[in-house]
This record gives sequence, C-alpha cells and structure tokens, in this order.
Amino acid sequence: MLEINNLHVKIEDEGREIIRGLTLSVKPGEVHAIMGPNGSGKSTLSYVLAGREGYEVTEGSVTYRGEDLLAMEPNQRAAKGVFLAFQYPIEIPGVVTMQFLKVALNAQRKARGEKELSTPDFMRLVKERAAKLGIAQEMLKRPVNVGFSGGEKKRAEILQMAVLEPSLCILDETDSGLDIDALRVVADGVNGLRSPDRAMVVITHYQRLLDYIVPDFVHVLSKGRIVKSGDRTLAHELEARGYAEFGKDAA
Amino acid sequence: MSVTLARTPAEESLGLNLPHRRMEDWRWTDLRQLVDRPYPPRLAVAETEKDVTRLLEASPFAKAARQRLVFVNGRHRPDLSQLANGPKSATSTAGDEPILAMNAAFADDGARLSLSGSADAPVELVFIATAGPARTIATHNVIEVAPDAAATVIETHFGEGPYLANSVTEVRLGAGARLDRIKFENEGSETVHLAHAQVTLGAGARLADFTLHAGARLSRQNGTYAFDGEEAEARVSGAYLLTGKQHADTRLFVDHKVPRCLSRELFKCVLDGEARGIFQGKVVVRPQAQKTDGKQSSHALLLSPSAEFDAKPELEIFADDVVCGHGATAGDLNADHLFYLESRGIPAPEARALLVAAFVGEAFETVAHDGVREALSSFAEGWRALHRGDR
Repeated sequence: MLEINNLHVKIEDEGREIIRGLTLSVKPGEVHAIMGPNGSGKSTLSYVLAGREGYEVTEGSVTYRGEDLLAMEPNQRAAKGVFLAFQYPIEIPGVVTMQFLKVALNAQRKARGEKELSTPDFMRLVKERAAKLGIAQEMLKRPVNVGFSGGEKKRAEILQMAVLEPSLCILDETDSGLDIDALRVVADGVNGLRSPDRAMVVITHYQRLLDYIVPDFVHVLSKGRIVKSGDRTLAHELEARGYAEFGKDAA
Repeated sequence: MSVTLARTPAEESLGLNLPHRRMEDWRWTDLRQLVDRPYPPRLAVAETEKDVTRLLEASPFAKAARQRLVFVNGRHRPDLSQLANGPKSATSTAGDEPILAMNAAFADDGARLSLSGSADAPVELVFIATAGPARTIATHNVIEVAPDAAATVIETHFGEGPYLANSVTEVRLGAGARLDRIKFENEGSETVHLAHAQVTLGAGARLADFTLHAGARLSRQNGTYAFDGEEAEARVSGAYLLTGKQHADTRLFVDHKVPRCLSRELFKCVLDGEARGIFQGKVVVRPQAQKTDGKQSSHALLLSPSAEFDAKPELEIFADDVVCGHGATAGDLNADHLFYLESRGIPAPEARALLVAAFVGEAFETVAHDGVREALSSFAEGWRALHRGDR
C-alpha cells in the first residue's frame, strides 16, 4: 500500500536534512509503529506524507497504491485515503466542526466520483461515530478544536478518521498530552478502525501507546533513517533500554 | 483656514461642495477626486419591470424576510411592498456633514417604520436602482422602535450602473427597545454609495447593528451612536468583502453621554485585488459617563499584496471610571489552517473560501435571527468563488 524508498527530505530555507534515506513498506491490514527520540524525523515524515509545504524531497520516492504520492496535492492524498492525525490539531475559529466534517467528507466523495452525502445521512453517520468515541453533540457545534482540551482534540482527530474512513492512517504522537483514561478511549477508537484493508503508521516516542494499539511491526527511527525493525517486543526493549544505543539525535 | 476650490463637474451637478482629503474625516476618501463625473439629482429613469424583478430576486434574505418595503430608484413602490410606509415625520439629521447635507437637499422619499410589539419576522427595506445614466438617488429613512419593543430590520441595497446612492437612516430606540439592524450593500461595480446612520438609544435599549459592504466601487458609511439613557448597549459590527479596485470607508462615532452604557465595535475586512478598506472609529466618553464599557477592534485579511487597509481608532475619554480599549490587525490567511483543511480533503480554493467566511463570520455573530445569519454566511462562503477570476 505504502512504499517509501530511500527518502531524503530537507527543510526548505534551512537546508538541514531531516530524513536521510528512509525505506519502509506497509501492506494493507498492517500496523507499523515508528519509534524514535525527539528530533529523529518522526513528525517530518508524517508531514511529508500528508503534503505539508516547507519540505523538499531531494531523493527517493513514496508510492501509495502504485501512484506517486509526492506528486499529489494534500487534498488529493486525503481523497485517495491518506489521513494524518496531527500531534497538535489546529484550532480553526469560525469553522464549525460539523460543517467542517461535512465539507471534507463531501469534497473527498466528489473527488472520488461518489455521490455527496445528504445532510440527514451525514448527521446520522457523525452521530453514530461520535457516540462510539464518547463525543458530545455539543462539541460538534463548536469551531474546529477551539477551546477543546488536549484529550478532546485527540478524540476529535479520531472522529474525523472514523467519518472519513481513510485507507492509510498516520497517527503522529497521538498519545501525547493524554491521561490514561483518554488514551484508552482514543486507542479503542483506533482499534475499532483496524481492518484487513486499512493500514496504520503509528508514530510515537513512548511504548505506552503500543500497549493499547498493538503493532505488527516496530521500527526505530534515528537520525532520519530506520535503524532497526522488529515485532512488538522491540518496543518493550526500547522502553527498558532507551534510545541510547542508537545514538543521541540532534534536536 | 478655508480655501475656495473651483467646483468639479460632480459638484456642479449637485450644487454643493464635496469633502476632500485635507478634511481630517475624509483623508483617505477624497470625494472631490473619487466622485469623478456629474451625478445630477432627481433624474427620472424609465425602469423595466424585468430589471426590477431580477434585482429584487438578488436579495439573499428572500426566505427570511416576508415583510418588505421596496424602493426603486429612490421611490417607494407600494405594489411591490407587503408593508405600508409610515407618514413623513420631522427629521433630526441636519447639519453640514457632507452626506447629510446632500441627503437634506435631494431625498424626497424613504422608509418610515414605527415598530412596536415584538415581531419574529424581519422587516426588509429593499433599495434597488436600475441601469441608467449617472445620477444621484437619495433616500431618507426613519426607524423608530417603541419602548420595550423588539424588531429585526434589514436594509438591502442592490443596483446596476453608474449611480450615486445617498442613503441616510435615522434610528431611534425607545427605553428597553431592542433592534437588530442588518445592512447588506451589494451594488454594482460602478456605483458610489454614500450613507449615514444616525442612532439614538434610550435607557436600557439594545442595538445590534451589522453592515456588510460587498458592492459599489466606492462606499463611505458614517455611523453615529448616541446614548441618551443609562444601561444601553450598542454592538456595531461590519464586514468588507472587497476586490478589484473597490474602496470602502467606514467612520463610526460613538458618544457615551450617560453612565453605564456598553459599546462594542468589530469590523472584519477582507480585501483582495487592489481593494482598499478603511476603518475610522471614534469613541467619546463624556465626563459624566462613568462606568462606560467601550471596546473597538478592526481586523483585515489581505488576500493580495496590492490590497490596503487603514485603521484609525480614536478614544477620547473624559471620565475616570471606565473600561475602554481598541485594537487593529492586518494579515494573510493562516497557512496552518489552510493545510489542516486541505489535509482533510478540502481543495485549496474551497479551504480559502471557508476561512474567509469564518473570518468575516465573527462580525455577524451578533445577528440573532438564524435565517438572516445563515443567509449572510452563505453569501460570505460564496463570495470567494464569485470573485476568483478578478485577481
């Protein structure tokens, strides 16, 4: 589903290389965890996959379902099923969450040549998905992420994921800022979305999240490349021994 | 010092002098220069009913407002109105302010509303001008809201062709009265719109006054708000949606003459192309007006490097126990907001349109009527798509 091959990425204007020869292959149904210390390139990877401006790919390729992902606009990537759950979800004053979800879902459906969802059908869908995540209707009437607590923001990201039903979910530090109860709710939401045709890339600093979202593969990212891969037990090793053996990364 | 200048063709046609940039209130809007051709007043034009119907249908409030008072080329049209117009009454707008002086000279007709009780349905005053030669169309409106009454009054201005609209609205709120006033100006790209709203508020009165300028090549809107009784509230807000070479200037004057009143001014200005937006807001707190709470802010969203925004806040405070403040900002769309929307599948142009609508939307949050507010939202959302080709 996702083939990253020898990817090199620089931050525009700075010239600093953040991703330095990263290779990763993700198949449908798989959950990959990418772990690494601060500054190892985790968030850069997630932004490059989602199509944020400000990064320059100098070498390598990213293929998603056989297509060149890097050639697509961010909205085209989303319509084709790529979803990034942000580490720091953006607050957008004046845009009501419900309206935002509807515009986003229908824009994706339109791009895929599907019929737009009617308002009642859409409302039904959102209500059902929101209830599963314990999200109150009142929250959906508020502007996107504005005044949401850390936990509410992360839950709202998972709700977007549940409504938009992407094929490739990239979760960037979804556990950061969550207490254990909120973490459980969010993880349950994510696990509910696991399916044979959906892949997930879970980016995290700590092993804690992986007790709840159990990965098939764990990769250690250091200085912009994957330096070790293994199964879920690798996460526990890291937790016990730290990232020291992979060398400190410059933040 | 007064300088006598030779009259311009516009001044000749009007028989009066226009303000110019050496007058402080007009420094950014030099009417002598900008009103660049004769605009003879009281020039009759033959309108076709087809044009009238088309312009009437342009109102975004057709669904919300069933009670209309319609004026075509400055004349009341009872046959198109559901409301009867009130009798002419004495006006209190006099003086040498240029827009008022022009109005006093040329306005022969206008809406006269005397509102009591509390009606749910908004009243819409519709002012349309049909295509024709350059001319001045002046109207004088009076809206009176009886003590403890509540009303929603919309003013819509539409038209086509090179006319000059001179529109004065007097608003008098009785004690405890409540008025939501919405002015929607979306005239043609050749129009000059010169307007003045003069509002007085009785004790405990509540006013929410929102003005949108999306049309006209040149618009100047004066608003004066005077508190005559204590514990009254005036929330004055406005939005600009301007592109091309449009020029809009709003000058507000809020007069806190009595204690314990609240005023809020909020202007959200979207400027694309080479558009120019100006906001001048003056708040005066007189010595006896203790416990005044007055805040003013103006914000511009500059969508093009050639757009310009000028803001001039003025606070004159002569009382010592007051809370007053002002702020002004100008900036571009937020790149993080855009990326977030795009990353959810929303194409960039649609994402920009959403953010523009969200930006101006704050200015009409005070509009209580759901249908009217929704009509304003959908107009704001569609504006960007409408003008994308102008850049």
